[in-house]
Parts: sequence; C-alpha cells; structure tokens
Amino acid sequence: MLGMKAKIKDNKDNSIIWAEKYRPKEFDDVLGHSEIVKRAIAFVQEKNMPHLLFSGPAGSGKTTLALIIAKKFFGPSWKENFLELNASDERGIDVVRQKVKSFARTKAFNGPFKIIFLDESDALTKEAQQALRRTMEMFTGTCRFILSCNVSSKIIDPIQSRCSVFRFRLFDKKDVAKIVERISKQEKFKINDKATEGLYDISHGDLRRVINILQASASFSKNINENTIYEIIAQAKPANIKAILDLTIKGSFLDARNKLLDTMLNQGLSGIDIIKAIQKEIWNLDIKNEEKIKLIEKCGETEFRLVEGSDDFIQLEALLASFILAKK
Amino acid sequence: MIPWVEKYRPKNLKEVVGQFEAQKRIFDFVKNFSNQKKRAILVHGSSGTGKTSIVYALASELGYEIIELNASDFRNKYQIQEVIGRAIKQQSLFSKGKIMLIDEVDGITGTRDRGGLREILRLILETSYPIILIANDVWQAKLRPLRTKAQFIELKPIEKNHIIALLYKIAKKEKLKISLDALDAISIMSKGDARAAITDLQVLASTCQKKEITKKQVAELCSREKDDSIFNALRQIFKNKGNVHNVFNNVQNININDLFLWIDENLPLEYKGPDLVRAYDALSKADVFRGRIRRWQHWRFLVYIYALLTEGISNAKKESKQGFTSYKPPKRILKIWLVNQKQAKRKEQAEKIAKITHISKKQAYKDLPFLEIAFRNNIPITNL
Repeated sequence: MLGMKAKIKDNKDNSIIWAEKYRPKEFDDVLGHSEIVKRAIAFVQEKNMPHLLFSGPAGSGKTTLALIIAKKFFGPSWKENFLELNASDERGIDVVRQKVKSFARTKAFNGPFKIIFLDESDALTKEAQQALRRTMEMFTGTCRFILSCNVSSKIIDPIQSRCSVFRFRLFDKKDVAKIVERISKQEKFKINDKATEGLYDISHGDLRRVINILQASASFSKNINENTIYEIIAQAKPANIKAILDLTIKGSFLDARNKLLDTMLNQGLSGIDIIKAIQKEIWNLDIKNEEKIKLIEKCGETEFRLVEGSDDFIQLEALLASFILAKK
Repeated sequence: MIPWVEKYRPKNLKEVVGQFEAQKRIFDFVKNFSNQKKRAILVHGSSGTGKTSIVYALASELGYEIIELNASDFRNKYQIQEVIGRAIKQQSLFSKGKIMLIDEVDGITGTRDRGGLREILRLILETSYPIILIANDVWQAKLRPLRTKAQFIELKPIEKNHIIALLYKIAKKEKLKISLDALDAISIMSKGDARAAITDLQVLASTCQKKEITKKQVAELCSREKDDSIFNALRQIFKNKGNVHNVFNNVQNININDLFLWIDENLPLEYKGPDLVRAYDALSKADVFRGRIRRWQHWRFLVYIYALLTEGISNAKKESKQGFTSYKPPKRILKIWLVNQKQAKRKEQAEKIAKITHISKKQAYKDLPFLEIAFRNNIPITNL
C-alpha cells in the first residue's frame, strides 16, 4: 500500500492486553472516520503534513491514528522520530518544554520531519499552551505536532489556528459489533447479541472500554452473555455512588461519608470525578423533580468551589448532607 | 540516656531505610560534583524522612568532612560568609573532601538572618565543594530563587514496612519483646516519620514492664498524646448555641487545617437532619475562604473562617444533642496514607501499562480493575 517500504512489523503483536493487541496497525483497519483516514493517507503520500489537532472523546481512535501516521511516515525507524507525551501526566510545561525541545532540536532520521504527539492536550494550562504555541513555531522546520484533546474549546485559539482540526466521533453500535465479532473469532469465545448491546450501552462507544470489559469477561467465561458483562462491571467498580446517596437519604450519613472517602481513595477518584457521578445519578433517585433540580444546582456550586481550590472532601460532604433533605 | 534517635542514626548508607532513589541522586551529586551543572541540591521532605541522616551517612562513607549551619546558628549574610564562605576556599586538611550543609533553610528568617538566602545563592555560584540545603517546606515564596540554582530532591514519607524493619532491628538490639502488631501500630502512628517511630518505641520501652511491649500499650500511648483542649473547644461549639467565637483561643499546637479535619470528623456525631445540612454549609463556606487565602495570600480571610467554624456551626442547630459524645481524632490523613501504601504497587503497574498502551497513567489506573480480572488479579507485567 502507498509504496511504503517494508511492511511494518510490530513486535508488540503478541501483547497480552487486548486493547493494545487489537489496536489497528494499518489505515485500512481503522473503523469509521473514513474522511479523516483519507486525508491522513494523503499526508503520507505527499510526505508532508500540517500540525494536526485531533479532537474527540476517549476511545474514539485518536491515538491509534497518530501511531499509524508515524509508522507510515518513518517505517521501521518510527520510534526514533516519534515522541509521545501525555499532558495529563506531565502537566508541568517545563517537562514538556525540555523534552519537546531536546527532541525537536535534532534533525529527523530517515524522514522529512519528526512528529511529537501530545495526548490529552486539554489538560495543559493556558500558560503552558502559550509556551507550546511558541515552541510549535520555533520548530516548524524539523517537527510536526499532533495534539489530541477531548474538547477542542479548551485549546487556545492561536494553537487551533495553527492546526488542521480533525473531529473524531464515538463508535456506533455497528462498529462495536464488528470489533466484538472480530475479537471473539480470534480469541475463540462466544458472545450473544444482548451482551454486545450491553457492551455498547455501558461504554457509549468508547472502544478501549469495550475491549477491556470484553477481555475481563472472556477470562470469566468462554460463553459470554449479558449477565457476564454486568457481573464484570459490578466486580470492577464495587462501591458505587448510588449506594452512597441511598444511604444518605435513608439517614445513615456517617456510613455514607465513610464509604465516600473509601471510594475516593481506593479507586483513586478526584472530587470532580465524584461530582460528575453524583450529578448523573440524581436523575435516577426516587425523589421529587423539584428536589432534583435543587440538588443539581448544588452540584454546580460545589464543582465551582472545587475548581477554585477548595477541599474536595469537605465540599463533597456538604453536598452529600444536602441529600438528607431530599423528599420523596 | 542517649536518645535512640541519635544512638541508631545510620552510620552508612546501607543503614538508611528506604529512599533508595533519593540516596542515589544525592550520592551522585556529591561523588560527581565536578560535572554538576547545578552546584547545589535542596533535599526536602517532611520530618523524620532521613534528610539529615542521609547526608551524614554519605559523608562518613566517603570520608568527607561536613561544615554545617543549622537553625540554631545565626545565619545572616556575614555569618554565612564566615562559616561557609571561608570553608569553600580552604582545602580540607584531614579528609578527602567537604560538604557544605545548610540545614533548615526554610527557617532562615527575614530580619535576624538578613541577606542570608542571597548570600547562599551567591556562594552556590562560586563554590568548589558540594552545597547541600535541607528544608521541610519548599513552597515558600522566599525559596523560589533557589529553584533555578539548585536541584530539588524530595524524600517521601518512609514506607510502613521499612519502619517496621527498622524498629524490629532496634528492639532486638535493646532486647525488647515486642509483638508484630505492636510494631505495626507504632509504624502506622508514625505516618512515615522514622524519628517519631523510634522516639515512641523508646518511650514505650522506658515505661513497660519486663521489656515487653504489647499492642494495647501502643494504643494507650496514642490516646494519651491527644490534646485535651481541642475536645473542649469542639464540645463548646457543638453543645452551646452561640457565644462561642473565642473557643479556639485556648487551643494550642493545632493549625487551621487540623481544625477543619477535627470538626469534619465529629460534626455528624452531634448533628442530624437539617441541622447537619446547615452546619456542613457553614463548614464548607469556611473552607471556601481557606481556598481563597491560599490563592490570594490574603490572610484577613481567617476572620471569616473562624467566625463560620465557631458561631456558624454552633448556630446551625435548633437544639443540641443531649448527653456525652466521645469525639474522635480525624482519620482522614491516616487513611490517605494507608491507602497510598496499598496503592503504590498498583500505581506502578498502571504506569507500566500506560507506557506500552499509549495512554495516560490516570487512564491506565481507571482501566486496571478490568485487567486485574482478566489476569485474575495478577498482571504479568514482566511479559508486557
């Protein structure tokens, strides 16, 4: 294809983590996103590309496409020419700057330029983005950036205007079914349609999540039905927010708040993570609608306080306490 | 009687518990000093994590001399010039090399130690011997200029198992009989502070009979150490209605963050229903002001914090609960520390998974439960 040199051999082919094992390695294998893929193929053919901004939800194929582009541009030497950084792990612009700069300073080996893939760029602060913008300009000669983000509005305009923006969408039911079938054949297990549907409902089309749940389920049974799926979800996420809210409404505030702390610590969740879950769960509670909207507003206020730098746990407890008054 | 903390201070690096990564970095800095771009290091971390011990152990291992200035010395410009400035110009007579050690740099105060920090910064530029600075808290604005001149090395609280091992060794040398769960309890109480753990062990040893220490004695020691005054303050706020704005005047040795923790821990023991909701509202608003102080460094907001914590919470109730309530010390910090100990290994796994599957550590940590099931709780990381 495309007159590429040797077909790229990936030594991670036998990776034991399915999400990685079944990550597409060729443009042809990428599901959906046909327009985006077409343009990516054109970049490789012309041996040139602009800076790219991939915007879309988790598990929609942003990293996959970035990796394929790198492999196609550079062939076997892709690893020398490709720097992958994750902004949510390395927020400090100093780290990014140092790594980016020292990588970008030298010429590409066996290729027109190097590629820097900055994943989850929306985790960067505004200041960091400003610094990044200058770095992008300084090294256009030797380097191309592929930025990925969940929400493109969190990326400052000057960066957006320097990039060609690609929007990724979540996979639909049909795509998920296709993947599930492909994997089930290769890994030799059976799965019924209801289970596949359940996978889609739970993951909302986040493919990495689909595959992770699938791998856990397949280790459980070689004959997966919808119950297997829900069993796995329950095992992986034992204490849930609904249980905490129910405890509060029933009047056991002490138990509820202890469970809240345990859940946060054991699952490594931040205050914002918990608020998101609470706010979603409010609609499912057995209380009056006008109470629901009051609580939602309280969630908003709490989230605002957390963003401003208040204490996660005290604010969440105060929020939790307001559920005491919620009436049926 | 010599304090055990001194008696068992590590004599070489092998005896230092944990902190391998930091040990190596400090060792490299001193050993390869001529190649160092940054001419000083700042070793920081909470108390009892081995900051000073590592430096002394290192010096004795290499046969270096230590020139030390600590908080007990005056450390203005001239003092520092006199001690450190002179030492960096002279060859050492008897030892192979020298280390300049300035302990507790965060304690160099504005007026009495005038010009001290600036002098240190100047000496860093011209020194021909390694300069090691030590501090507890590096987030003070006055230490900011050091960031570009010195390498920062952090010492994390010591892991529980390391503290247990250390206590066990000392107990054996002192011929103490101590059960494993008592050792466990002491090390949990220490929250990663080796000095506190050793001191506790010595206190227990001096009061126990027949050189035998049980878990029960540890628990008693732990409850004895609590400060009565905080209990009284809590009782007044929770039991009285209003007129309590002065209750914290008598509480000593407790900082504002701990006050929040104490109130937070005990509030639901006293208040119920709508009272609890209003009380938490006051507490959470006080917390908002705490965040604002942190952000704007406007300390006058403290007034509002205290008002909300005392009168705010006191007046939140219709009437107070009758009878005696036994207040509990805050569990949160301890819990966080314990969970961190437990999660350290999972974090490590997540990190490795993140690297090979092209995702963030955070995301890998979220995916971990599914992978754990897939591999029956045991991910063969070595195969990755």
